[in-house]
Amino acid sequence: MPTDMPNGPRSGASIAVRDLKVAYGGTRVLHGVSLDFEPGSFTALLGSSGCGKTTLLRALSGFVPVEGGSIIVGGRDVASLPPEKRGMAMVFQSYALWPHMSVLQNIGYGLKLRGVPKPQIAAKVGALLSMLGLSGYEDRKVTARSGGQRQRVALGRALAIDPGILLLDEPLSNLDAKIRMVMRHEIRAIQQRLGLTAVHVTHDREEAMTMADRLVIMQAGRVAQVGTPEEVYDRPASAFVANFMGAENVLPLHVARAEGGASVTAGTAMARLAPEAAQALPAGEAIAYFRDDVARLDASDAAAGGDLLVPGTIAARAYPGGVYRYRIEAAGRQITVDDADRHELGTTIGLRIPLQRLHIFPASEAGIAA
Amino acid sequence: MSLSQRHLALILIAPGLVLVAALFLYPLCFSLISAFSKDGRFTLEWFAKAFELYSTDMVFTVVIVVTSCALTALAAIVIAGTLTLGENRYIVGTLKALYRWPLFIPFIVAAQCMRTFLAKNGLMNNSFVSLGLMEPLQAVSYLDWRGIIATFVWKQTPFVALLLAGALASIDRATLEAGRNLGASRLRVLIELALPQVMQTLLVALVLSFVTMLSVLSVPLMVSGSQPTMLTVDMAFRINAYGDYATANALGVITYLISAGAAILYLKRGLSQEAPR
Repeated sequence: MPTDMPNGPRSGASIAVRDLKVAYGGTRVLHGVSLDFEPGSFTALLGSSGCGKTTLLRALSGFVPVEGGSIIVGGRDVASLPPEKRGMAMVFQSYALWPHMSVLQNIGYGLKLRGVPKPQIAAKVGALLSMLGLSGYEDRKVTARSGGQRQRVALGRALAIDPGILLLDEPLSNLDAKIRMVMRHEIRAIQQRLGLTAVHVTHDREEAMTMADRLVIMQAGRVAQVGTPEEVYDRPASAFVANFMGAENVLPLHVARAEGGASVTAGTAMARLAPEAAQALPAGEAIAYFRDDVARLDASDAAAGGDLLVPGTIAARAYPGGVYRYRIEAAGRQITVDDADRHELGTTIGLRIPLQRLHIFPASEAGIAA
Repeated sequence: MSLSQRHLALILIAPGLVLVAALFLYPLCFSLISAFSKDGRFTLEWFAKAFELYSTDMVFTVVIVVTSCALTALAAIVIAGTLTLGENRYIVGTLKALYRWPLFIPFIVAAQCMRTFLAKNGLMNNSFVSLGLMEPLQAVSYLDWRGIIATFVWKQTPFVALLLAGALASIDRATLEAGRNLGASRLRVLIELALPQVMQTLLVALVLSFVTMLSVLSVPLMVSGSQPTMLTVDMAFRINAYGDYATANALGVITYLISAGAAILYLKRGLSQEAPR
């Protein structure tokens, strides 16, 4: 086994998950998940609490027994193998460092298990510590280190065994905001440098978007959407994904197809769509999802142009910095909008929403009453 | 706290203090004085007599208790380790349901059970004979030092396993999973990762077991009537046969010192672990 820290890309292993089913007791948690993880890719499993993302990661690592399906790593089904035989290294949310061991012993434990001689372990740990910015910490106690340093040690411990696959179980959740930012970039840089296949579980959307080159959005034990951060953010496949990715404003619409396009009505406001744009829209009752920064405040009697201009009243105002954040009562809903100008409470305004920025789904799919 | 409240507090704890003083401190001081005095003068005569008559029993007692502690630790680690890291839920469930039972059985009952189990014609040998594993003539009695150790281990293992399993259950499960993830077998995880984290608890349980075993009279008396025997039997013998309280008290002080040895070992380890690095 080489003791120096490899600099060039190392070939990460591929993972193919097929129809994976996992149950706790009698409760099914994963309902036949199928996913492919390309070698050297960084995939983030994203979803709200209880969606099954951690269960999927733990099923990959072997800590959760699989009820059905397969996990193929490098052409071999590892679903029935114990965790120690899977060749995947995991970084835990709680760091999971061994408090009775020094930094050197923690990082070198995997190598010790593989029968690597002590001098080589010391050399490799030294190289890893220098890569992680912890040179000279070999003999320190892990319990005396800060959260960021502990997570670096945990990362070093996982990397020491030259894993083809790196599993990250919310590794940044216990760190403060500033350290988290730094660690995001460090983990991503190390993953790219070593060419590892990384699977990262998080509930932090921004963290997933900035670190991963592919997102897997999970909902109630199923995959809701797989795609690049841009695809998932700009073209959500379902109302759930749109809502989860931050399009939290909900506006009931009625879409009526007509010759030469379609008309979209929200309350008293109406806009017309060109035929090519109208093709993708569901006809009938629908729900539109959009983010706070999509709409603008305008005069109630301004010309609508091609936009929806929904009349509303300013119900609340806050200043989070840079722009004002308003809560608008419009079309029977509470809508949050960011706007650069200051407006007084109670003012009647026109809420200008560009149709092409809306994520529109049939009301029956959206699960929220129109 | 005002003065009157302080007085009230003293009055409230007074009954307890009086009981401790009357039933523990007074007999303790009386025994110590009796062990070191003759006709009102300081002497080591009783200790000389104790060593002359019972030095073999002192060594025997220490060997029995240390061996029992070692075997108890081993059995407790196996049980607590299985409860924590076991993956077969039937084995874990059965073990969980059974392992605490000896806790509720007094030493004297345990000793009586062992008498019927380990005797030459006891249940164990009879079972082996009826299973065809041995000839009746090959049967030997285990009612000697082996019987004492077997009884102590059987009786104390649940106590140590209970404390150890509790401590193992309270450590961060991810630290054990991290070991498995890096390639360690369950046995290595238990020995190298889990046990070092709960060593303090194991040590407390063993020190308490050591002191308990040192003070048991019924087990050596009932299981092994032969020589050598444990110091508790010698003390009872000095008092019952000769009314020789002074030598019995000297043996008692020696027992205290052996217990103190275990306590010092425990304290030294505790201090060295707390030292910052």
